Order: sequence, then C-alpha cells, then structure tokens
Amino acid sequence: MDRVSTGVPGLDAMLGGGLVPARPYVVSGPTGAGKTILAMQFLAAGLAKGEAGLMVTLDEPPNEVKANVVAFGWNLDRLKILDATPDIKAHKRQRSVIDVGTTMDVRDMDQVGEIRQSSQIRAMEVSIHGVQKMLKQEFFQREERTREKYKRIVVDSITALKMFSMAGEDSRIMIQSFMRFLAELEATTLLVSERLNPKILETEFFLCRGEIRFHKSLDGNVIRRAVSIEKFRGSRFDSRVRPMSITNQGITVDPQGVVAMTGGHLAALGEEYLEQRLGDEVTTVIEAVLKLIEDAHRMRMAVTDVEHAISRATLQLQRRHYQKALKTALHAQAVIRERLEKARQGPPPPPPPQPPPQGVPAPGVRR
Amino acid sequence: MLHGGLVPHRPYIVSGPPGSGKTVLAMQFLLEGVQGGERCLFVALEEPPNEIKQNMRAFKWVADDVEILDANSDIRRFEPTPVIEISTEVEPARMRDIEDRIRKTPDFESHEVSVHSLQQLLKTLFIKRRYDRVVIDSITALKYFCMREFEESLTTQSFMRFLAESKVTTVLVVELPEEGQAPPESFLARGEIRLHKLRDESGIRRFISIEKYKGSSHDEFVYPFEIHSSGIVVQVADAGQAPAA
Repeated sequence: MDRVSTGVPGLDAMLGGGLVPARPYVVSGPTGAGKTILAMQFLAAGLAKGEAGLMVTLDEPPNEVKANVVAFGWNLDRLKILDATPDIKAHKRQRSVIDVGTTMDVRDMDQVGEIRQSSQIRAMEVSIHGVQKMLKQEFFQREERTREKYKRIVVDSITALKMFSMAGEDSRIMIQSFMRFLAELEATTLLVSERLNPKILETEFFLCRGEIRFHKSLDGNVIRRAVSIEKFRGSRFDSRVRPMSITNQGITVDPQGVVAMTGGHLAALGEEYLEQRLGDEVTTVIEAVLKLIEDAHRMRMAVTDVEHAISRATLQLQRRHYQKALKTALHAQAVIRERLEKARQGPPPPPPPQPPPQGVPAPGVRR
Repeated sequence: MLHGGLVPHRPYIVSGPPGSGKTVLAMQFLLEGVQGGERCLFVALEEPPNEIKQNMRAFKWVADDVEILDANSDIRRFEPTPVIEISTEVEPARMRDIEDRIRKTPDFESHEVSVHSLQQLLKTLFIKRRYDRVVIDSITALKYFCMREFEESLTTQSFMRFLAESKVTTVLVVELPEEGQAPPESFLARGEIRLHKLRDESGIRRFISIEKYKGSSHDEFVYPFEIHSSGIVVQVADAGQAPAA
C-alpha cells in the first residue's frame, strides 16, 4: 500500500511506513508540544517531493508562522498559506462583519510579509463555511491553473476553528461535514487539535482515521517529549510511546527508544479505569467498617474516633481522593478490629458479634 | 466469555474509546455470519465504504459478501435550499463492488442522513429481505450528526427499540471518551461488550469485558486481547488483571 511520509523518519517507522493517503488525521497534544512543527515538517516533506501543500492558519498570522519555522531551514517558499485568522472584531451596532470567504487571502510563503491590518471599516470574521469555501476555491483554481492537486493540507487548528467560527452552529455536524469535505478532496490532511478535556468525546477524534499524540512532561527541570500513535485505521502500528526531540532539523523520533512511564499524564489513560476499581474497594471497606461500628455500639464501646475517620474517608471518596480515602478507611478498619478483639477477650464476654466482613486488600495502589 | 455467544435477534453494544478496536470486532462479527451463509449488513456512519474496504485489506479476511450501506452525510450546504435526505430507495452494496475512491458530493444537492430517514430505509430493507446480522457503526455518529431536530436520548431509545422489534442480531458501536461516564445508550441494549485501552511500558494493551448481558450468564473478568492479522484474539486462558501502573 502507498504511504505518505510525515517528514519524520522515526514517526514513519512507528506508522509502518507513513500515513495512509487521502485521509484526515488528528495531531493532538498540549500547547508547545510540537504539533505545528510536525505539521510544517509534513508540508515541507511534501514540497521536497514536488507535492503541493496548503496550510490553513487560524491560530497565528502567517508572518509568525513563517518566522517560527525559519530556524529549521526548510524550503517552504512554494507552500501556499491561507490566512484565516480573524480580525479584531469591530464593535459596532450594524452588522459590518464580512466573511473571510469573500476576501480570500492565499499566498505563497515567500510572499508573506507583515501582519495583515484589520480594516478600519469592516472586520473579517471567520466561519467554517468561509474557510471551507475558500479551500474549495483555492483547490479547484489550482487544479485548473496547474493541473495539479493539493496533496497535503494542514488545518492549524481545528480547535480554533471550532471555537471562533461556529457561534450558533451545531459544531459536531459542522466538523463532520468539514471532515467529509476534506476526505472528498482526497488530500492527506493533518488537523491540529488541542486536547481540552479527555472526558468529552470530541468529534474530530473519533472521525479521524488516525491520531498522533504528543506528550510533554516535566522531569526535574527538563522537558521530556514523547509521541504515540493512539489510533490508525487500516494499518498496524507501533503502539508504544516513543521519545522525541525538537532540534534545528525539526522533530526527530527515536523509534527504538523507551520512555519511562513515570510521567503522570502518560499513565493517565488507564487511570479512570483503575480509579473506578479503587472506588469500589473503598466502598467495600467503608461498608465493612460501618458494620463493625454497629457491633461496637451494641457492645457500648466508644468508637467516636473511628466514626470520624470513616466520615472523613467518605468525604475523601466523594472528592475522588481514592488513595487517601482507602488509606483512611483501612486504618479505621484496623483500629476498630483491634479494639473489638480486645473487648471480646476481656470479661465479661460480650454477645458474639458477627464475624467482620473481610475488606479486600486493594490491588495496584499507586503513588 | 459470553458462554456461547450472543442471544440472537437482540441489539448489543460494543463500546470503547477511539482506537480500541470496535470496528474490527464488529466487522469480525459480520464475517462470521457471512461464512455461515448469513446475510449481513454494515451501516457506515463514520467512514466512507471505500476506506473501510481498504482498512479490512490489512486482515486476511474474505469480506466480499458483507453488504455495506453508506450512511455518511454529504458535505453540508449552507444555502437555504432544502437538503435532500437519504432516499429510502438506496441499496447497500457488496464489499467487492465498493469502489476505491470516495463518493463525491454532487454540486447541486447534498444528501443528509437523518435518524428518521435511516430508520425508514432500514425498515424497507428488512422487509425486502432477511438480514441475520447488522452492525451500526456508530450510534455515536448517528446521535451526533443525524439528530439535528430530535431529542437525543429519546430518539436513540426509539431507534434501538426499532432494531429490537426487527428481530435482527445487531451490534451497535458506541464511542466512549477516554475518561468519564458511559453515555446513556449503554443502558438500553441487552448487552454491552466494552473494549478498554490502557497504556503501559509495552505500548497499548487492550482489554475486553462483558459489562452486561441479559438472559445469559457471562464471565465477570476482564481479559486481554490483541489485534492480529486474523482479527481480534481474546486470551481467555489467563484472567487479565488491571495492570498496576
């Protein structure tokens, strides 16, 4: 099968040769992880092979994009860049906003100069419709002009597109439609996405045909960078997290390297699952202790401290501090058991309490 | 794990985060049916059929007889002209007949799939011929993209009710976020097979569990599984432990 190189040999190796062509992919990660650099490197690799590339920028104005990649020394002169950064909003009563689509600004990278000044009279606002129309026009105009299609497209970023340009629209449907549009262009597309909340299922993550995720963690005072493939349809891939670095050559990935999984967020994937298990454990222990407290009451023993401890554990459980809650609960259990044991041995013999239910020791208590 | 398989003629859920192997499992379910001479339908709401066909080439499967219904919405139009809903005369295509390139949205009209039209279409198809196995990939896409004017949970419920009444064994794919709550549709099916994706030093480890299975006993354990070139292989021999990270 044909593959499209990402421009990073190590990453291509992880992908089993490269991306499957003509599909949209997501590049995700925290800010400053290298998402835009990868996107530019991907376009540069295409240009080097004579494949036309188009960059749609929503986060930074083109002049900044240009300045940021100068250090890498890639020849991006022939890269088309489409400025879809919104203007300063004109705060006027009458609707003076014109859509970016009607005045489109696509230029070669070497033509990029100063930042575009917002017009005094009317402000351009970006809408997904505008961006789509502009892309379509540019795509077909180029095909007419040069009999050549854009092979690689980058949208930086889809998060921005969602945030600024879909006021009042149903963003899920708009993203679905936009990704369908990109798929129909039959170009390999990278959508840069900021991962905002892992609890919310963002449309682009399940509609994309693959996800390259960047990780960034602080180890002492050094930033460690790593990359992983989270999903890749129609191909086998290396599922490990591999170390990467950003040098003056761009991104390099060591496809044989090993990343220590001590970094908090790398382990975060399984966390929710473990937490749920841990939460269950805590509940079991708390219930067991509550039964013991009842026994103690029957024997007229003072167990106020244990009661306090258990209400603290319940509170911690509610606040989702599972480890703390487990510790508190287990401690309370030990205390009350010991006390009951003593009371039972001492005369006069109390009425036989029920055998205390076994609190299950927690597997996999971490941190 | 299911103590023999699924009870026929009911809807089931396969859930999991992106990249956990849901589509592969669903496809494998249909393939099994095709090999037994059953009639199988794959309703594609997330990916165009040409890509599904290409993706399945990575596996050593003979999937030519699986029928695919392309229920992907076209690019939406912004003009005020009314959109054309997916017509109730659309026919599914056999896997072998799927073209290599993506279907293009025509310039003057675009089809939009709504839950209503899809239900109508499936109803006509089910009357015309008996399908034994159906996969909806995915319910999440249906909910997100095809219910513009409908109330989401009620409509999902009614759609699942419709499937149950059609007496077809159905696998519904549900996308889960990586963390957090399961969506409400999980409560509606007769059974849920959940795929888990965990990371540790050896890469992604995949686990499978039966969260719920009405009308049958089932295993309570979580088992590891792998995706080979022959498809999903569950290692039932060694009971999986939640890895202590």
